[in-house]
Amino acid sequence: MGKIQSITILDSLHQGQFTFSSNTSKEDFDLLKQALDAAISGVIITDNQQPDNPIIYCNKAFETITGYSRREVIGHNCRFLQQEDRNQVARETLRNAVAKGESCVVELRNYKKDGTLFWNELYMSPIKDAEGKVCYFTGVQNDITRRKQAEEELRTDKAKMERRIEERTRSLRESEEYLNSIVQTVRESLLVLSPDLKVLSVNDHFMKSFKVSREETEGRTLYDLGNGQWDIAELKNLLEQILPTNNPVIDFEVSHDFPHIGKKLMLLNAHRIELEGQYKDRILIAIEDITDRRAIEQRKDDFLSIASHELKTPLTTIKGYIQMISKLTAESQDAKLKGAVEKTNAYVERLNGLISELLDVSRIQSGKIELHKAPFDFDTMVKESVEALQHANLSHKVVVTGATNCSFTGDESHITQVMTNLLSNAIKYSPDSHEVEVHLSRVSNFLKVAVTDHGVGIPRDEQAKIFERFYRVSSIQQRFPGMGIGLYLCAEIIRNHGGSLWVESEVGRGSVFSFTLPLDEKGEGDGR
Amino acid sequence: MAAKIMICDDDEGILDLLELILTDEGYQTVPELNSLNIASKVQKEQPDLLVLDLWMPVLSGDQVLRTLRNNAKTSNLPVLVISASTDGKAIAMNAGASDFIAKPFDLDLLVGRVKNLLKAA
Repeated sequence: MGKIQSITILDSLHQGQFTFSSNTSKEDFDLLKQALDAAISGVIITDNQQPDNPIIYCNKAFETITGYSRREVIGHNCRFLQQEDRNQVARETLRNAVAKGESCVVELRNYKKDGTLFWNELYMSPIKDAEGKVCYFTGVQNDITRRKQAEEELRTDKAKMERRIEERTRSLRESEEYLNSIVQTVRESLLVLSPDLKVLSVNDHFMKSFKVSREETEGRTLYDLGNGQWDIAELKNLLEQILPTNNPVIDFEVSHDFPHIGKKLMLLNAHRIELEGQYKDRILIAIEDITDRRAIEQRKDDFLSIASHELKTPLTTIKGYIQMISKLTAESQDAKLKGAVEKTNAYVERLNGLISELLDVSRIQSGKIELHKAPFDFDTMVKESVEALQHANLSHKVVVTGATNCSFTGDESHITQVMTNLLSNAIKYSPDSHEVEVHLSRVSNFLKVAVTDHGVGIPRDEQAKIFERFYRVSSIQQRFPGMGIGLYLCAEIIRNHGGSLWVESEVGRGSVFSFTLPLDEKGEGDGR
Repeated sequence: MAAKIMICDDDEGILDLLELILTDEGYQTVPELNSLNIASKVQKEQPDLLVLDLWMPVLSGDQVLRTLRNNAKTSNLPVLVISASTDGKAIAMNAGASDFIAKPFDLDLLVGRVKNLLKAA
């Protein structure tokens, strides 16, 4: 078929001379043409009998969709709509369908005249003649750009969502692994029980401590574990009586003799745990094995007791002989000898004090200070303390004024220690003075002791710190030796008796250390 | 006649010292290092006062004291416990001591307490 002929046919179509069949009337044809122009889908017809399948018809909608006018469309192969974007899978499908004379539906990226992309959903179907030979193809195209965009957005959203879920899952798994590694590493036995006391999970430390495997633990009832070795009355009470009342169990000490691992001292902490919507009434038990710690504490205390006792024994002999020497040289006129004996005695006292303090500090630290409370005459105790100190310190006169007129119930040796400490401090820190005053009084239902010196005093900012352990006032560190234990001990002792110890001081003028002790409701000491 | 004081301490230095102090005050002393011998020696020597240490090997002072208190013949014997143990006073008083002095002690204090106990007896 020649070129001129094809143009003739196109023109004839345009002029309404083309006939679909021999008996199509001009009216019918016009009606069909108007109908096609009224459609919102683009419609084209290509002529397969001509080379390169030119478009021989397009309707109005096609022009609207593509932006090309009829003039620019007729005679062209459809491919101009793809412009440079030729590498599309759909085109292959289209080509095959045309070659085989079959119908097909494809989605193509087409471009309008102004270059903007639009997605074309194209229905191609062949028109065959009586012998079945493909003569034409009709193409119906719809601009599905918006649908495509919506689909694309949906796809990206879905991908984004999936990615986010993946990330969440991963971070959840990571944090779970992280938490789990903590749970497994922690050096405390942890187990989780169901409400019916079945073991849901245990950590590594539990298995190691109690020499059990996960298999023989998880899923079993707690009391059945290891031949009933966890069937402990105290634990039973704790789990069945205390926990159901919704109270956590804190630092509950349980001692139990396990058949295989021996006697254990354990500190139990138990809580009910609940994760909303997942589980409730689970029980988390944390078991701390304090067997060794207690044993070590005990050994330390024992060691210090023995050490203190053993150090004091020869000291007793030394002190005794010094006192004998002091007595024997009482008549002597040798001032050097007398001074030497006096000094030796004072230093033996100091050594004795240090030994006692160390033992006391250790006891207070482990919270095991034992108070041997008994009623004693308070004023007599003060008098005796003063006398003992006066005896060893001739440099200062200790003046006692007032009285409590009380029998106080407390640990006499401890209170004596406080008195001695405050008095020796008063003497020690007032080297240029010669007097220390002790005032005794009753204030409401308290007795009060005030020890006043006219010594170096304590700077205001350091006054609170002097009751701390091992604290030494910086300005006097060099001048006055000491460990910084005395006042800490005094404060602890007074506190243990329900009283308070405080200081008022002025640098260069001196200090007043006061303490109060509560008398019981019966008003002991009244009417003496 | 001078009062007879029995002294029991597992430390020889302290035993010597106590003997020296007490003989110097004019008392008659009976020293004993081994706490296992006290009960029988008390029966034999019939002292007016026993000065007793607490921490001694094999048999502690408070154990000795309880034995003495449970025996009718020695239940009233004045016993002065002298110890370097921090909770010594409570232990001694619980076991039935007549009085207690902490080590290291003041010489005058010891002599005073001894005198008081002998006077009271």
